[in-house]
Amino acid sequence: MKQMVEVSICYGTLCFVMGGSAFETMGEKLPDDLKNKVSIQGMNCPGYCNSQEYGRPPFVKVNNRLIAEANLNKVIESIRKEVEHGTNQ
Amino acid sequence: MAQTNNATLIRREIITRLCKLYIENRLEDIDRIALEMAPRNTTPVSGNRCCIHKSRAIIKYRVMALLGFNVSDETDELESLYSYALRALSHKEPEKGVLTVVDEACTSCVKSNYVVSNLCRGCLASHCMVTCPRNAITMEHGQARIDPLKCVGCGLCKDACPYHAIIYMPIPCEESCPVKAIYRNAEGVEEIDYDKCIHCGRCMVACPFGAVMYRSQIINVLHDISRPNRQVVAMLAPAISGQFKATYPQIATAVKKLGFTDVFEVAAGAVATARDEAHELKEVLEQGQQFMTTSCCPAFVELTEKQLTGLKPYVSHTPSPMRYTADIVRQQYPDASVVFIGPCVAKQAEARRYPGIDYVMTFEELGALMIAMNIDLQTFEATEQEEVIAERKFAFSNGVLNSVTDYYDGPSLNPLVISGLHKKNIASLRRITTGKHDWNMIEVMACEGGCLAGPAGISSPEVARKLFNAQSGVQAEHPLINEMKQK
Ligand code: FES
Repeated sequence: MKQMVEVSICYGTLCFVMGGSAFETMGEKLPDDLKNKVSIQGMNCPGYCNSQEYGRPPFVKVNNRLIAEANLNKVIESIRKEVEHGTNQ
Repeated sequence: MAQTNNATLIRREIITRLCKLYIENRLEDIDRIALEMAPRNTTPVSGNRCCIHKSRAIIKYRVMALLGFNVSDETDELESLYSYALRALSHKEPEKGVLTVVDEACTSCVKSNYVVSNLCRGCLASHCMVTCPRNAITMEHGQARIDPLKCVGCGLCKDACPYHAIIYMPIPCEESCPVKAIYRNAEGVEEIDYDKCIHCGRCMVACPFGAVMYRSQIINVLHDISRPNRQVVAMLAPAISGQFKATYPQIATAVKKLGFTDVFEVAAGAVATARDEAHELKEVLEQGQQFMTTSCCPAFVELTEKQLTGLKPYVSHTPSPMRYTADIVRQQYPDASVVFIGPCVAKQAEARRYPGIDYVMTFEELGALMIAMNIDLQTFEATEQEEVIAERKFAFSNGVLNSVTDYYDGPSLNPLVISGLHKKNIASLRRITTGKHDWNMIEVMACEGGCLAGPAGISSPEVARKLFNAQSGVQAEHPLINEMKQK
């Protein structure tokens, strides 16, 4: 049995205001086949927003992959990749 | 309704930059914002815009709007943003209109409602050309072409084309405006007719180029905060509990950290509105008036002043929660600058009419200011037990009606809730004016679902509602939308 894909959403105010609020409904918006393969949690600002090298907010981590300018579609696509050929076998 | 798309995010980024410059005392660098956001050697974020200079010009005009100016008031193209900023700090009375069109951004949109697609065969008969009553169509390189400045949008060419090659394209702002207040002027740029505009903000949300902007007052707020011995008091609209992932006390603490002297909840003023409106309702119904409407939504009130004037006598005379809250603030801080903070564009128009309120800020500006000052709500401790004011219900459709009925003890009510001033609901309201119905209390909100769906909120209406229900201590029920019964 594969491990759950861990999704960490930055709950920092900067990420939240710059588009991260959309992840509030992520649980409901996940496609059915992914629903029980994902564990969603929030994280405090990990500081990515302080440096341009990480890209632009909002930031979401899917397992160990950092997604900048994250939106629901990008994150779901990334979850799917992890599920299909994830590193956490 | 607030949406997070690139147009919204760019606006928020500019507000953040503007706040930072002010706070760091570097306002003279304001003209650099456009250079920093559209640097040389990069393609503009939005991809295929024609060149960097246009992107920069668009950003410049966005900043101008955020400094509180009407973009079309520009007289000298070379006037720097720094000069505008200094002017913004010295003047206080803005002229008409809260919304303004960034014409540089607007010109990227479709030029007319009818467009010849590449299905056009350039046929011999040229039915389109022959049919057009304005001679707006010519043949160029074997295809028909519509001159947007001549086209009046009658659509006859579309019907005439045997290949169905001419398509109708809506102009998003015009399509969204429920009162026909935005139109294409002779230069092919959208213009707002302030005698018609009710400031609902629909065009701002609808424009895919973010060309419609509200004229911000944030620089004036920051300026007052920075003045020594100046008290600046924030009033947070009831929808605040749906904006951040934080409880009301956490947000209030953050707002004080921004430099505000004190923070008041507009729900406190809503208590007075609900109570007085209930008394007023009882009184007018007993006197034989057929019905009364709520008065807290400023876009609706403007609608009854500018378009549905027949409805005006039925609008409650009870002041809005913003005005009552300002009275409460003034008792404690008679000389303070009073700032209303909400999700609304129309509130600024309302506030300009009452001396008790100095400035209006939006929730997204509040968010941007937090970013500029490095304030992260996540780091705030979950605070003590908070006092929940039931009138936080004013944030959603049905909530105002609900609050009013809590205080009401008059003749039995047959209420109607109008949620969203789109064209169809405006038509319903027009019929209501004729009196052929048996509603006696009508709640109207310009945004579908109420203020939680306001155009300058931080999150989408769906998210705002979810957060509000989780954090505010009151529940936004699904609005009861009564069908209009025609007699
Ligand atoms: S707020 Fe998300 S990385 Fe800092």
